[in-house]
Amino acid sequence: MVLSLWRKIRRTGRVAEPAPPPPDAAAGPAVAELAGSVQIRHVDAGSCNGCEVEIGSAFGPVYDAERYGARLVAAPRHADALLVTGPVTRNMAVALRRTYEATPEPKVVVAVGDCARDCGVFAGSYGVAGAVRDVVPVDVEISGCPPRPEAIVAALRSLTGR
Amino acid sequence: MNLVALGLGAAAGAGVASALMGLLVPRPARAAAVGLGSAVTGAAGVLAGIAAMTGQTWSMAAPELLPIAGVFLEVDALGGLFLAVAGAVAAVAAIYGIGYSRHHADGRAPQAVLPLFVLTLLIVPIAASVGTFLVCWELMALTSLLLVLTEHRRRAQVGEAGRWYAIMTHLGFMAILIGLLVFTAQAADDTFPALRAAAATLSPAVAGLVFLMILVGFGSKAGVLPLHAWLPRAHPEAPSHVSALMSAAMVNAGVYGIVRVGFDLLGGGARWWWLVVLLLGALSAVYGILQAAMSTDVKRLLGYSTTENMGLVLVGVGASGLFASAGNTVLAALAMAAALLHVCNHAAFKTLLFLAAGSVLHATGSRDLDALGGLRRGMPATTAAFGLGALAASALPPGTAFVSEWLLLQSLIQGLPNAGIATSIVLPVAVAAVALTAGLAVATFVKAFGVGFLARPRSDAAANAAESPATMLAGMGLAGVACVALALVPGLALPLIGRVAGGIAGTQTAPATGALTIELAEVTGTLSPFLLTVALLAAAVLVVVALRVAAARPRRQEARLWDCGAGPMSARMEYTATSFAEPLQRVFDNVVQPVQDVDVTHYQESRYLVQAVEYRRQIPDRIERRFYEPVLLAVARWGRAGRRLATGSVHRYLGYGFYTLCALLIALVVMR
Repeated sequence: MVLSLWRKIRRTGRVAEPAPPPPDAAAGPAVAELAGSVQIRHVDAGSCNGCEVEIGSAFGPVYDAERYGARLVAAPRHADALLVTGPVTRNMAVALRRTYEATPEPKVVVAVGDCARDCGVFAGSYGVAGAVRDVVPVDVEISGCPPRPEAIVAALRSLTGR
Repeated sequence: MNLVALGLGAAAGAGVASALMGLLVPRPARAAAVGLGSAVTGAAGVLAGIAAMTGQTWSMAAPELLPIAGVFLEVDALGGLFLAVAGAVAAVAAIYGIGYSRHHADGRAPQAVLPLFVLTLLIVPIAASVGTFLVCWELMALTSLLLVLTEHRRRAQVGEAGRWYAIMTHLGFMAILIGLLVFTAQAADDTFPALRAAAATLSPAVAGLVFLMILVGFGSKAGVLPLHAWLPRAHPEAPSHVSALMSAAMVNAGVYGIVRVGFDLLGGGARWWWLVVLLLGALSAVYGILQAAMSTDVKRLLGYSTTENMGLVLVGVGASGLFASAGNTVLAALAMAAALLHVCNHAAFKTLLFLAAGSVLHATGSRDLDALGGLRRGMPATTAAFGLGALAASALPPGTAFVSEWLLLQSLIQGLPNAGIATSIVLPVAVAAVALTAGLAVATFVKAFGVGFLARPRSDAAANAAESPATMLAGMGLAGVACVALALVPGLALPLIGRVAGGIAGTQTAPATGALTIELAEVTGTLSPFLLTVALLAAAVLVVVALRVAAARPRRQEARLWDCGAGPMSARMEYTATSFAEPLQRVFDNVVQPVQDVDVTHYQESRYLVQAVEYRRQIPDRIERRFYEPVLLAVARWGRAGRRLATGSVHRYLGYGFYTLCALLIALVVMR
């Protein structure tokens, strides 16, 4: 079992794509304090899960966002940045605000996908409280429905600066 | 001036007077009068017991007092120890009972019986003839049975518990009766000195039979496997101060009986006796604490813990017998001292725990840990008492049980080098059993204290709990002081206990000496519980101060508790006693064999929508199911078969008598 795993690892080798050139400009004042290591809490505020698939892919072996210093964590208390997807539904508005409050300073909010930016196709729906920026201050936005993993990785690299 | 006689006289006078007061004094003052009287009885017993342990003796012979048998009493050091322990528990429980019974048990019958129960507890260890002993033993069983049944009108389970207790205790009594009568048949008369003289002439088979019978009888009183079934039923259903008396004082009578008959009257005996005792003790200890760890009823948990502690005591007694039969009297005295010290320690912390549990029951009306919690705010004194008791019961350094379990482990480990094959297999097993028991005890009492008293209340009753009256707090306070004293300076009690143990094992060397630092005789081992506690406290203070200093640097911020954004967190999200024990239950799945049942109901419209989930979990006592149910079924079948013989026809019954008489006469004629 373990041996076959090792064999698989050896045979497969690296599948990560070559790293694109590092970003030129940092995204905000908080980024300098984060010093290249960004712990990220992902919040699904009402997404259709399309963005989640792409985030999963961004942290998968091919795009491998962790090599730039970004890492997903399990609680906002451990996090530097929030990765928010979907239009903020009325059920999740309070939870998102509390998650934001629970994240220690300095903190960064990344809105992932068109829904998070301006509610996308769900705009005006009775269950939607608004875009992410209507609920918590947003620092970085990633467009796309869903955004490609390259775009997510690029945005995260603008936070880590690596 | 003989303090023993003085103490016993005072105890008898106060006991009888309080029983009369229980009958005659009107209700408002009854509980106080009986409680004070019983407390005096107990205190007088303590005085007599301690005097006896320091070397005074006293005996009384009144052959005409009881028909045929007569009454013979004799106080020696061993009897004095058990007398003192029973008296101390009785005094504390009686003071507590003043406040407790005002709402639960201030009827005429329970109040009149309580002092009598205390009195029988005091007389059993000093009875010096088989007749006196058996009468006192039976009176002890009957009075405690009446006390168990106090609340039978209020709760149906009390009646069932009483039935179990009555039947089991009488089966045990029969076993003791058979054993002691077989013994007495070989002796000149039924006094203990005559039995001692006859012990040398007994054949090994008869001596073994006697020992096995009394082991069954006394074992059932001590709640040892597999005769423990009554204990976790009857102890929780009794009023709490009676539970304390039974669990801390009465079960000791079982240990006393085994030590008295096995060591004193039979004079030691064969090695296999003590191997049986040791193995039974080890099994009881592990099984008892395992069931306690699974239990969610706090008093049932304490009842199972009694089985565990009696098991530990019997491990010590068995080890002592093994060493004595191998001729190593000093080690035998050490093991016996450990066992007897554990009897004292157990009495102290079990009294405290039962009284605190009773205080909780008094305030909330519930014994279910899953419905308690958050009692710290409403009942700070009771919480402190239970916390102290829980610490004392788990064998960790500042605790009371730690000292005696350390002594026990020392004696078991030191016994290893000079052992035969059977012994050298059994002793490591016993060491492992004691260690496992100690670990499980910690988990059990962390559960009982953490789930029951800390966190948030899980029911309205727990949220509105108020502190108990002063007499109850006084009782708990006294028991707490005893726990602390035994934990910090066991050197106060150990010389006396060592003398008793030395007397039993037949050696002059004190097995353990020293007031603050215990030093063992002939084996290397020292322990200073007091210095250990001081060091622990110093370390704790140091850590707290260091944390304060370190945490004071950055400004402290008040922040909302992270509740996954859902909040507010309710008491339903807390650990319950069941969930806390779940990992343990998983580990010991094969031993406890829980019965679990998950029932999911769906909506009619779709199988994907769940309407309700019902979860049931039950941890039946496995020994009870395997061992008792077949026996009970067989008895029931036997009863049904017997009914065919008794049809209700008078002619038939007369016929039975006639034919039996004829058969007897024919048998006599033929056998002549």
